Amino acid sequence: MPTAILGPYTRTILTSAIIAAALMFSFTYARVNVHIELMPFFEWMETTWFGYIGKTWGGAFATIQAGHLVGLGVLGGCVLVSDGRLLGLILTDVPHRTIVDRADTVFFWALVVLLATGIFMACGVAMKIYYLPVYWYKMLALGAGMLFHYFVRRPLLVHDLESINPMILKSTAIASILVWFLVAATGRWIGFSG
Amino acid sequence: MNELIYNIAIWLDNTTYSTLLHESYYMYNWVESTHVLTLMVSLGILFLIDLRMLGWAFPDVPASKIADRLNIPMLVGFTVMFITGILLFYAVPVRSAQSVWFRIKMVLLVACAVNAYLFHKRMNESVSSWDSDAKAPKRIRQGAMLSLGFWSIIVICGRFIAYDWYDCQYDQSAFIDFVAGCVDGQTRF
Repeated sequence: MPTAILGPYTRTILTSAIIAAALMFSFTYARVNVHIELMPFFEWMETTWFGYIGKTWGGAFATIQAGHLVGLGVLGGCVLVSDGRLLGLILTDVPHRTIVDRADTVFFWALVVLLATGIFMACGVAMKIYYLPVYWYKMLALGAGMLFHYFVRRPLLVHDLESINPMILKSTAIASILVWFLVAATGRWIGFSG
Repeated sequence: MNELIYNIAIWLDNTTYSTLLHESYYMYNWVESTHVLTLMVSLGILFLIDLRMLGWAFPDVPASKIADRLNIPMLVGFTVMFITGILLFYAVPVRSAQSVWFRIKMVLLVACAVNAYLFHKRMNESVSSWDSDAKAPKRIRQGAMLSLGFWSIIVICGRFIAYDWYDCQYDQSAFIDFVAGCVDGQTRF
Protein backbone atom coordinates (compact mmCIF):
# COMPACT_ATOMS: atom_id res chain seq x y z
CA MET A 1 0.00 0.00 0.00
CA PRO A 2 2.70 2.60 0.94
CA THR A 3 4.51 1.67 -2.27
CA ALA A 4 1.42 2.55 -4.26
CA ILE A 5 1.24 5.96 -2.61
CA LEU A 6 4.91 6.86 -2.26
CA GLY A 7 6.31 5.32 -5.44
CA PRO A 8 9.74 3.67 -5.76
CA TYR A 9 11.32 5.68 -2.92
CA THR A 10 9.03 4.38 -0.12
CA ARG A 11 11.87 3.40 2.20
CA THR A 12 13.76 6.63 1.61
CA ILE A 13 10.70 8.76 2.36
CA LEU A 14 9.78 6.73 5.48
CA THR A 15 13.35 6.91 6.83
CA SER A 16 13.55 10.63 6.15
CA ALA A 17 10.19 11.02 7.95
CA ILE A 18 11.52 9.10 10.99
CA ILE A 19 14.65 11.28 11.12
CA ALA A 20 12.56 14.44 10.74
CA ALA A 21 10.16 13.23 13.47
CA ALA A 22 13.09 12.53 15.82
CA LEU A 23 14.49 15.99 15.13
CA MET A 24 11.12 17.64 15.75
CA PHE A 25 10.63 15.60 18.93
CA SER A 26 14.01 16.76 20.24
CA PHE A 27 12.75 20.36 20.15
CA THR A 28 9.45 19.69 21.95
CA TYR A 29 8.67 19.70 25.68
CA ALA A 30 7.95 15.93 25.55
CA ARG A 31 11.71 15.40 25.21
CA VAL A 32 12.17 16.64 28.80
CA ASN A 33 9.93 13.85 30.13
CA VAL A 34 11.81 11.19 28.18
CA HIS A 35 15.10 12.68 29.41
CA ILE A 36 13.97 12.33 33.03
CA GLU A 37 12.74 8.76 32.40
CA LEU A 38 16.19 7.84 31.09
CA MET A 39 18.08 8.95 34.18
CA PRO A 40 17.90 5.57 36.05
CA PHE A 41 19.33 3.88 32.97
CA PHE A 42 22.33 6.22 32.94
CA GLU A 43 22.79 5.75 36.70
CA TRP A 44 22.78 2.01 36.12
CA MET A 45 25.35 2.38 33.32
CA GLU A 46 27.84 3.84 35.79
CA THR A 47 27.39 0.83 38.11
CA THR A 48 28.31 -1.72 35.41
CA TRP A 49 31.81 -3.19 35.04
CA PHE A 50 32.40 -0.92 32.07
CA GLY A 51 31.42 2.08 34.18
CA TYR A 52 33.65 0.93 37.06
CA ILE A 53 36.68 0.35 34.78
CA GLY A 54 36.13 3.60 32.88
CA LYS A 55 35.90 5.64 36.08
CA THR A 56 38.72 3.90 37.95
CA TRP A 57 41.45 3.53 35.33
CA GLY A 58 42.06 6.61 33.24
CA GLY A 59 44.54 4.65 31.13
CA ALA A 60 41.93 2.04 30.19
CA PHE A 61 39.44 4.75 29.33
CA ALA A 62 41.98 6.62 27.17
CA THR A 63 43.03 3.39 25.40
CA ILE A 64 39.43 2.55 24.55
CA GLN A 65 38.99 6.15 23.45
CA ALA A 66 41.96 5.70 21.09
CA GLY A 67 40.26 2.54 19.73
CA HIS A 68 37.15 4.67 19.20
CA LEU A 69 39.23 7.19 17.23
CA VAL A 70 40.82 4.45 15.11
CA GLY A 71 37.34 3.04 14.40
CA LEU A 72 36.17 6.53 13.47
CA GLY A 73 39.17 6.95 11.19
CA VAL A 74 38.49 3.69 9.34
CA LEU A 75 34.77 4.45 9.10
CA GLY A 76 35.59 7.90 7.75
CA GLY A 77 38.05 6.38 5.28
CA CYS A 78 35.36 3.99 4.01
CA VAL A 79 32.82 6.80 3.65
CA LEU A 80 35.29 9.04 1.80
CA VAL A 81 36.48 6.29 -0.55
CA SER A 82 33.00 4.94 -1.28
CA ASP A 83 31.28 8.33 -1.61
CA GLY A 84 34.32 9.81 -3.33
CA ARG A 85 33.90 7.10 -5.96
CA LEU A 86 30.18 7.85 -6.32
CA LEU A 87 31.08 11.50 -6.83
CA GLY A 88 33.63 10.47 -9.47
CA LEU A 89 36.55 11.95 -7.52
CA ILE A 90 38.70 8.91 -6.72
CA LEU A 91 39.36 5.40 -8.05
CA THR A 92 37.45 6.33 -11.19
CA ASP A 93 39.06 3.44 -13.09
CA VAL A 94 37.59 0.85 -10.73
CA PRO A 95 33.87 -0.07 -11.10
CA HIS A 96 31.84 1.79 -8.45
CA ARG A 97 29.96 -1.40 -7.64
CA THR A 98 33.21 -3.03 -6.48
CA ILE A 99 34.27 -0.03 -4.37
CA VAL A 100 30.84 0.50 -2.80
CA ASP A 101 30.37 -3.17 -1.88
CA ARG A 102 33.87 -3.75 -0.53
CA ALA A 103 33.91 -0.48 1.41
CA ASP A 104 30.58 -1.45 2.97
CA THR A 105 32.08 -4.58 4.55
CA VAL A 106 34.85 -2.57 6.24
CA PHE A 107 32.33 0.15 7.17
CA PHE A 108 30.25 -2.44 9.06
CA TRP A 109 33.21 -3.62 11.19
CA ALA A 110 34.35 -0.04 11.82
CA LEU A 111 30.82 0.76 13.00
CA VAL A 112 30.89 -2.28 15.32
CA VAL A 113 34.19 -1.02 16.84
CA LEU A 114 32.74 2.48 17.18
CA LEU A 115 29.58 1.27 18.92
CA ALA A 116 31.40 -1.17 21.23
CA THR A 117 34.02 1.36 22.33
CA GLY A 118 31.37 4.10 22.46
CA ILE A 119 29.21 2.07 24.87
CA PHE A 120 32.24 1.46 27.11
CA MET A 121 33.11 5.17 27.13
CA ALA A 122 29.50 6.18 27.77
CA CYS A 123 29.38 3.89 30.84
CA GLY A 124 32.51 5.54 32.26
CA VAL A 125 31.05 9.05 32.11
CA ALA A 126 27.33 8.24 32.02
CA MET A 127 26.06 10.96 34.35
CA LYS A 128 28.28 13.59 32.77
CA ILE A 129 27.01 12.92 29.26
CA TYR A 130 23.43 12.59 30.50
CA TYR A 131 23.44 16.32 31.22
CA LEU A 132 25.32 17.30 28.04
CA PRO A 133 23.03 18.50 25.20
CA VAL A 134 25.79 17.81 22.69
CA TYR A 135 25.80 14.10 23.64
CA TRP A 136 22.16 13.92 22.61
CA TYR A 137 22.95 15.76 19.38
CA LYS A 138 25.58 13.14 18.70
CA MET A 139 23.15 10.29 19.37
CA LEU A 140 20.68 11.96 17.05
CA ALA A 141 23.36 12.33 14.37
CA LEU A 142 24.52 8.72 14.87
CA GLY A 143 20.96 7.43 14.64
CA ALA A 144 20.36 9.49 11.52
CA GLY A 145 23.66 8.24 10.06
CA MET A 146 22.86 4.58 10.63
CA LEU A 147 19.27 4.93 9.40
CA PHE A 148 20.51 6.79 6.36
CA HIS A 149 23.22 4.27 5.61
CA TYR A 150 21.18 1.10 6.06
CA PHE A 151 17.71 2.28 5.00
CA VAL A 152 18.44 4.85 2.32
CA ARG A 153 21.95 4.60 0.89
CA ARG A 154 22.38 0.82 0.87
CA PRO A 155 18.97 -0.09 -0.56
CA LEU A 156 19.46 2.56 -3.23
CA LEU A 157 22.90 1.27 -4.19
CA VAL A 158 21.68 -2.33 -4.44
CA HIS A 159 20.17 -1.36 -7.80
CA ASP A 160 22.18 -1.20 -10.99
CA LEU A 161 24.17 2.01 -10.43
CA GLU A 162 24.04 2.91 -14.12
CA SER A 163 20.24 3.03 -13.92
CA ILE A 164 20.18 5.54 -11.03
CA ASN A 165 19.92 9.23 -11.81
CA PRO A 166 23.49 10.63 -11.35
CA MET A 167 22.13 13.57 -9.37
CA ILE A 168 20.51 11.19 -6.87
CA LEU A 169 23.78 9.23 -6.60
CA LYS A 170 25.81 12.39 -6.00
CA SER A 171 23.27 13.81 -3.51
CA THR A 172 23.35 10.53 -1.59
CA ALA A 173 27.16 10.59 -1.51
CA ILE A 174 27.27 14.21 -0.27
CA ALA A 175 24.57 13.53 2.35
CA SER A 176 26.51 10.49 3.54
CA ILE A 177 29.78 12.44 3.93
CA LEU A 178 27.97 15.25 5.75
CA VAL A 179 26.06 13.03 8.16
CA TRP A 180 29.18 11.07 9.21
CA PHE A 181 31.20 14.25 9.50
CA LEU A 182 28.45 15.57 11.79
CA VAL A 183 28.71 12.40 13.91
CA ALA A 184 32.48 12.89 14.24
CA ALA A 185 32.24 16.63 14.89
CA THR A 186 29.58 16.29 17.61
CA GLY A 187 31.71 13.52 19.16
CA ARG A 188 34.68 15.89 19.32
CA TRP A 189 32.44 18.58 20.76
CA ILE A 190 31.62 16.30 23.71
CA GLY A 191 35.30 16.52 24.63
CA PHE A 192 35.08 20.30 24.96
CA SER A 193 31.88 20.31 27.01
CA GLY A 194 31.38 19.82 30.73
CA MET B 1 70.18 17.74 25.08
CA ASN B 2 67.12 17.85 27.37
CA GLU B 3 68.19 21.27 28.60
CA LEU B 4 68.41 22.49 25.01
CA ILE B 5 64.93 21.16 24.22
CA TYR B 6 63.62 22.80 27.39
CA ASN B 7 65.23 26.15 26.49
CA ILE B 8 63.79 26.03 22.95
CA ALA B 9 60.37 25.21 24.41
CA ILE B 10 60.67 28.15 26.83
CA TRP B 11 61.61 30.43 23.93
CA LEU B 12 58.55 29.25 21.95
CA ASP B 13 56.37 29.63 25.02
CA ASN B 14 57.50 33.26 25.37
CA THR B 15 56.33 34.18 21.87
CA THR B 16 53.10 36.15 21.62
CA TYR B 17 51.38 33.82 19.16
CA SER B 18 51.97 30.77 21.36
CA THR B 19 50.19 32.53 24.23
CA LEU B 20 47.42 33.79 21.94
CA LEU B 21 46.82 30.32 20.53
CA HIS B 22 46.85 28.71 23.96
CA GLU B 23 44.57 31.30 25.51
CA SER B 24 42.09 31.37 22.62
CA TYR B 25 39.38 28.89 23.59
CA TYR B 26 37.82 28.72 20.14
CA MET B 27 41.02 28.81 18.06
CA TYR B 28 42.74 26.14 20.13
CA ASN B 29 39.67 23.90 20.00
CA TRP B 30 39.32 24.44 16.24
CA VAL B 31 42.94 23.42 15.69
CA GLU B 32 42.61 20.41 17.99
CA SER B 33 39.33 19.33 16.36
CA THR B 34 40.83 19.60 12.89
CA HIS B 35 43.80 17.53 14.08
CA VAL B 36 41.50 14.78 15.37
CA LEU B 37 38.89 14.85 12.59
CA THR B 38 41.55 14.68 9.87
CA LEU B 39 42.05 11.12 11.16
CA MET B 40 39.17 10.21 8.86
CA VAL B 41 41.12 11.32 5.81
CA SER B 42 44.69 10.43 6.71
CA LEU B 43 44.60 7.42 9.01
CA GLY B 44 41.32 6.09 7.65
CA ILE B 45 42.66 5.90 4.10
CA LEU B 46 46.07 4.63 5.25
CA PHE B 47 44.38 1.82 7.18
CA LEU B 48 42.31 0.91 4.10
CA ILE B 49 45.54 0.61 2.06
CA ASP B 50 47.12 -1.53 4.80
CA LEU B 51 44.00 -3.70 5.07
CA ARG B 52 44.06 -4.17 1.28
CA MET B 53 47.62 -5.51 1.50
CA LEU B 54 46.53 -7.92 4.23
CA GLY B 55 43.63 -9.12 2.06
CA TRP B 56 40.98 -7.83 4.50
CA ALA B 57 39.61 -5.00 2.36
CA PHE B 58 39.05 -4.56 -1.39
CA PRO B 59 40.63 -7.97 -2.16
CA ASP B 60 39.47 -7.85 -5.80
CA VAL B 61 40.81 -4.36 -6.51
CA PRO B 62 44.44 -4.29 -7.76
CA ALA B 63 46.73 -3.31 -4.88
CA SER B 64 48.63 -0.77 -7.00
CA LYS B 65 45.40 1.08 -7.84
CA ILE B 66 44.37 1.31 -4.18
CA ALA B 67 47.85 2.50 -3.14
CA ASP B 68 48.34 4.96 -6.03
CA ARG B 69 44.88 6.51 -6.25
CA LEU B 70 44.41 6.91 -2.49
CA ASN B 71 47.90 8.26 -1.94
CA ILE B 72 47.08 11.90 -2.72
CA PRO B 73 43.96 12.27 -0.50
CA MET B 74 45.87 10.47 2.25
CA LEU B 75 48.85 12.84 1.94
CA VAL B 76 46.54 15.86 1.95
CA GLY B 77 45.07 14.51 5.22
CA PHE B 78 48.51 13.94 6.73
CA THR B 79 49.65 17.44 5.70
CA VAL B 80 46.71 19.02 7.52
CA MET B 81 47.38 16.74 10.46
CA PHE B 82 51.05 17.70 10.67
CA ILE B 83 50.33 21.43 10.37
CA THR B 84 47.69 21.30 13.12
CA GLY B 85 49.97 19.05 15.18
CA ILE B 86 52.79 21.61 14.97
CA LEU B 87 50.33 24.34 16.00
CA LEU B 88 49.18 22.26 18.99
CA PHE B 89 52.81 21.81 20.03
CA TYR B 90 53.44 25.52 19.55
CA ALA B 91 50.48 26.38 21.78
CA VAL B 92 51.77 24.28 24.71
CA PRO B 93 55.50 23.83 23.99
CA VAL B 94 57.03 23.17 27.42
CA ARG B 95 54.56 20.56 28.62
CA SER B 96 54.45 18.85 25.20
CA ALA B 97 58.25 18.72 24.87
CA GLN B 98 58.46 17.08 28.30
CA SER B 99 55.60 14.63 27.79
CA VAL B 100 56.70 10.98 27.74
CA TRP B 101 53.82 10.19 25.40
CA PHE B 102 54.66 13.00 23.02
CA ARG B 103 58.25 11.74 22.83
CA ILE B 104 57.14 8.15 22.17
CA LYS B 105 54.77 9.51 19.52
CA MET B 106 57.60 11.38 17.78
CA VAL B 107 59.84 8.28 17.77
CA LEU B 108 56.99 6.22 16.33
CA LEU B 109 56.30 8.85 13.65
CA VAL B 110 59.91 8.48 12.49
CA ALA B 111 59.50 4.68 12.56
CA CYS B 112 56.31 5.06 10.48
CA ALA B 113 58.11 7.24 7.93
CA VAL B 114 60.90 4.65 7.56
CA ASN B 115 58.34 1.84 7.33
CA ALA B 116 56.33 3.75 4.69
CA TYR B 117 59.50 4.33 2.62
CA LEU B 118 60.46 0.63 2.75
CA PHE B 119 56.86 -0.40 2.10
CA HIS B 120 56.65 1.69 -1.09
CA LYS B 121 60.12 0.63 -2.22
CA ARG B 122 59.31 -3.08 -1.82
CA MET B 123 55.91 -2.60 -3.40
CA ASN B 124 57.22 -0.77 -6.47
CA GLU B 125 59.86 -3.46 -6.98
CA SER B 126 57.46 -6.38 -6.97
CA VAL B 127 53.85 -5.24 -7.43
CA SER B 128 53.55 -6.33 -11.06
CA SER B 129 53.88 -9.99 -10.00
CA TRP B 130 51.10 -9.96 -7.35
CA ASP B 131 48.99 -6.86 -8.11
CA SER B 132 45.70 -8.75 -8.47
CA ASP B 133 46.30 -11.24 -5.66
CA ALA B 134 43.95 -10.89 -2.70
CA LYS B 135 46.93 -10.84 -0.32
CA ALA B 136 50.27 -9.12 -0.80
CA PRO B 137 53.53 -11.08 -0.31
CA LYS B 138 54.71 -11.67 3.26
CA ARG B 139 57.20 -8.75 3.42
CA ILE B 140 54.57 -6.27 2.25
CA ARG B 141 52.06 -7.71 4.72
CA GLN B 142 54.59 -7.28 7.52
CA GLY B 143 54.99 -3.63 6.53
CA ALA B 144 51.20 -3.19 6.57
CA MET B 145 50.94 -4.83 10.01
CA LEU B 146 53.72 -2.60 11.35
CA SER B 147 51.95 0.46 9.94
CA LEU B 148 48.65 -0.53 11.58
CA GLY B 149 50.40 -1.24 14.90
CA PHE B 150 52.56 1.89 14.96
CA TRP B 151 49.72 4.22 14.02
CA SER B 152 47.37 2.66 16.58
CA ILE B 153 50.00 3.26 19.29
CA ILE B 154 50.48 6.82 17.99
CA VAL B 155 46.76 7.46 18.46
CA ILE B 156 46.92 5.99 21.99
CA CYS B 157 49.96 8.17 22.81
CA GLY B 158 48.11 11.18 21.40
CA ARG B 159 45.25 10.52 23.81
CA PHE B 160 47.62 9.93 26.74
CA ILE B 161 49.30 13.34 26.24
CA ALA B 162 46.20 14.88 27.83
CA TYR B 163 46.91 13.05 31.11
CA ASP B 164 49.44 14.41 33.63
CA TRP B 165 50.61 11.08 35.13
CA TYR B 166 54.29 11.63 34.24
CA ASP B 167 54.48 15.41 34.15
CA CYS B 168 57.70 17.00 35.41
CA GLN B 169 56.02 19.02 38.16
CA TYR B 170 55.38 15.78 40.10
CA ASP B 171 57.99 13.59 41.79
CA GLN B 172 58.91 10.89 39.28
CA SER B 173 61.39 8.05 39.18
CA ALA B 174 64.83 8.81 37.72
CA PHE B 175 63.88 6.81 34.62
CA ILE B 176 60.74 8.86 33.94
CA ASP B 177 62.66 12.08 34.66
CA PHE B 178 65.18 11.01 32.03
CA VAL B 179 62.64 9.90 29.40
CA ALA B 180 60.47 13.00 29.91
CA GLY B 181 63.55 15.22 29.83
CA CYS B 182 62.82 16.98 33.12
CA VAL B 183 65.46 19.59 33.90
CA ASP B 184 66.80 20.17 37.44
CA GLY B 185 65.43 23.37 38.90
CA GLN B 186 63.07 24.09 36.02
CA THR B 187 60.51 26.72 36.87
CA ARG B 188 58.07 26.39 34.01
CA PHE B 189 55.99 23.32 33.19
